[in-house]
Amino acid sequence: MTALTSHLKLLEAESIHIFREAAAQFRSPVLLYSIGKDSTVLLHLARKAFWPAKPPFPLLHVDTTWKFHDMIAFRDRTVKELGLDLIVHTNHDGLARGINPFDHPPSVYTDVMKTQALRQALDTGGFDAAFGGARRDEEASRAKERVFSFRAAGHRWDPRLQRPEMWQLLNGRLGKGETVRAFPLSNWTEADVWRYIMLEKLEVVPLYFADLRPVVERGGQLLLVDDERMRLLPGEQPQMRKVRFRTLGCYPLTAAIESDAADLDAVVQETLSARVSERAGRLIDHDQAGAMEMKKREGYF
Amino acid sequence: MNLAALDEPISAGTFLAPDQKSEAMLKLLTCGSVDDGKSTLIGRLLWDAAGVTDDQRAAILHASHARAVNGERIDFSLLLDGLVAEREQGITIDIAWRYFETKRRRFVIIDSPGHEQYTRNMATGASHGDLAILLVDARHGVKRQTRRHAAICNLVGIKKVILAVNKMDQIDWSEARYRAIEADFQAIAGNFAFAEITAIPVAALTGANVVARSAEMAWYTGPTLLEYLERVDPKVEPVDAPFRMPVQLVLRAAGDFRGYAGSVTSGAINVGDRVVDARSGLGATLRRIATMDGDRLTATKGDAVTLVLDTDLDISRGAVLSEIKRRPVNADVIEARLVWLSEKPFDPEAGYLLRTATDLTPVTSMSVSALVDFETLASAPAHDCSVNDIADCRILLGRATALDLFRDLPLTGNFVLVSAIDGATVAGGVITWAQTGAAAIGDNVLVLDRARLAGLCADLGDSPADLAEFERRAQEVAILLRSAGVPVLIETDQ
Repeated sequence: MTALTSHLKLLEAESIHIFREAAAQFRSPVLLYSIGKDSTVLLHLARKAFWPAKPPFPLLHVDTTWKFHDMIAFRDRTVKELGLDLIVHTNHDGLARGINPFDHPPSVYTDVMKTQALRQALDTGGFDAAFGGARRDEEASRAKERVFSFRAAGHRWDPRLQRPEMWQLLNGRLGKGETVRAFPLSNWTEADVWRYIMLEKLEVVPLYFADLRPVVERGGQLLLVDDERMRLLPGEQPQMRKVRFRTLGCYPLTAAIESDAADLDAVVQETLSARVSERAGRLIDHDQAGAMEMKKREGYF
Repeated sequence: MNLAALDEPISAGTFLAPDQKSEAMLKLLTCGSVDDGKSTLIGRLLWDAAGVTDDQRAAILHASHARAVNGERIDFSLLLDGLVAEREQGITIDIAWRYFETKRRRFVIIDSPGHEQYTRNMATGASHGDLAILLVDARHGVKRQTRRHAAICNLVGIKKVILAVNKMDQIDWSEARYRAIEADFQAIAGNFAFAEITAIPVAALTGANVVARSAEMAWYTGPTLLEYLERVDPKVEPVDAPFRMPVQLVLRAAGDFRGYAGSVTSGAINVGDRVVDARSGLGATLRRIATMDGDRLTATKGDAVTLVLDTDLDISRGAVLSEIKRRPVNADVIEARLVWLSEKPFDPEAGYLLRTATDLTPVTSMSVSALVDFETLASAPAHDCSVNDIADCRILLGRATALDLFRDLPLTGNFVLVSAIDGATVAGGVITWAQTGAAAIGDNVLVLDRARLAGLCADLGDSPADLAEFERRAQEVAILLRSAGVPVLIETDQ
């Protein structure tokens, strides 16, 4: 097994190198903390990169108000325990307009409550760089992205004009109006993230572990009834099923999987043997062909 | 992910010893001319070696049917071409990163575009490869673009190359044709510093000799592609390389903690060893190697660590910590070979900056001396260079910086050239010669420092933003002066 875990040490060193390069070159970075397993690893690596000092940047959570309740509780506990600065941003204009995941298609909801919200938060904070936990193995357009991903004014990503990135050299010199998304986990896979969580004994949101939870089955997907705002269709009756999540987002848009994997060992085993990719549970990615690339061009992570 | 990993239980066991680290992960570049079938070969490798999940398989089968390419066959290239424009045009524009693992190894595949206009993306990919698969179409043999890609692989430091002779099914599995192509390539490879070239006849579309051994080519007794990839040792480094650690940041924390954070780019260092700052020549003894997981006694190549010294050397980002004996050159003039990446051609009057491991140094002047001809692979005298060219050049720096020769220590001997105006990365290069003192070419060099630019920069203080603004204004002045024929040095306080 050593051959399959020792590469984690290489990945860890590479990620720390990226964090330090970004912190040295950008004036005002921020870490996009979305509470899931990738963010957990990202935050852990950020702490290692600057230890014994604290990471020299705040965390930013874009809260759509539709995140799982367990996620928010986990976020607040983590920030408190580690003594970190957290900025929580919600697109209040979108809230006021009543944008929600039930009445609006995923593309509209995501654009307003996630993409626009992120742009607002970055502009308000004056951040010139944002760390994200995106991995190239997640999705086809992500597989094409650089470690320092430059965005033109308005946060637009132009995949045809990516800056060459050679060797270990990361050129963070910004042109006029440019900002950067920095991806320290670029070369990690989903399996690497779980193995690392296990090796480093990191705590993750309990939703990743199987438990009896109230769900409804809709269009072949299992959705958790996380609070009273969940709109049930005629005939739908929540039932208790043993489920867990491979990826966490907004609860009405994130499908659970049936599973008995109730601890880390079982989750890692299940992940390594999975026959379906992780983002299959993300309803927003299926909305249209090239959905992720389109979201990124608009300034989504 | 893969099924193979299930055979062995995951345990939170210890990591491998440092000398085994690079065994665990292989970064693999695929390149070659357009239509030679790179994306298809990688797609086939992923498909057959279990790197593809069920929903991805279903999506690919669906899309292949919709496009109806290759008759009824699966269009493996859909696994790699991720951008909308790529799918629409059926070409690869930018590099794609893919990941898979077998029982023996974790693989990172870097698939690079074949079109000449996207060579800069190919160069980006190549610089990250431990090993390259160079693809040729068995019907057409070695082409100009094959030579260009081989030259770029060589430039960025790749030492081992697989010549994958693809589409063998299209030439009736002809051994004679395969041997001729292999001999062709061996002949041009004499121009390069490759340590090992391994030719393998394959057919990506049918899978022959990719993962499964080909029944049609019984005459071939060497390894299949995957067999070779699982066994090859990409390392060709000397065991006793000198210690280097370019300083990324200075970390300060409670209890008077002051440490130099960086990644070890070569060699090893132990607590108690003497280290030296190559620029100032000042030495100190290593007191601690600090990490969040506890202090260590030794750090080796690839480790991201924080070094605590017994005396304060007053150094910052850009310094290179080195062993005492074999030090970097404190150079202000270099010769280099580079690949030009920008659409804007080289302009001797433009402002450039040299980005080395962690330092950013203003370029005083730069000239091109030769270009590589991709037909003959010989250098020819030249003074200009533009996008996708490989050029030899001479660069005078505004101040000295610690450097090595690329052939000795790649990670302190490489650089990118940065536009001072818009920050763009315009070229990537390797240092072939470096010297100290040559830039002090006499009294007629005008030094632009804070004192000389006091009037222009009267509104600037000492904040990092103001220092950056000073550098920007100094660059602008330097560009004007240079175009008037005045040699200029810029001195920043950084």
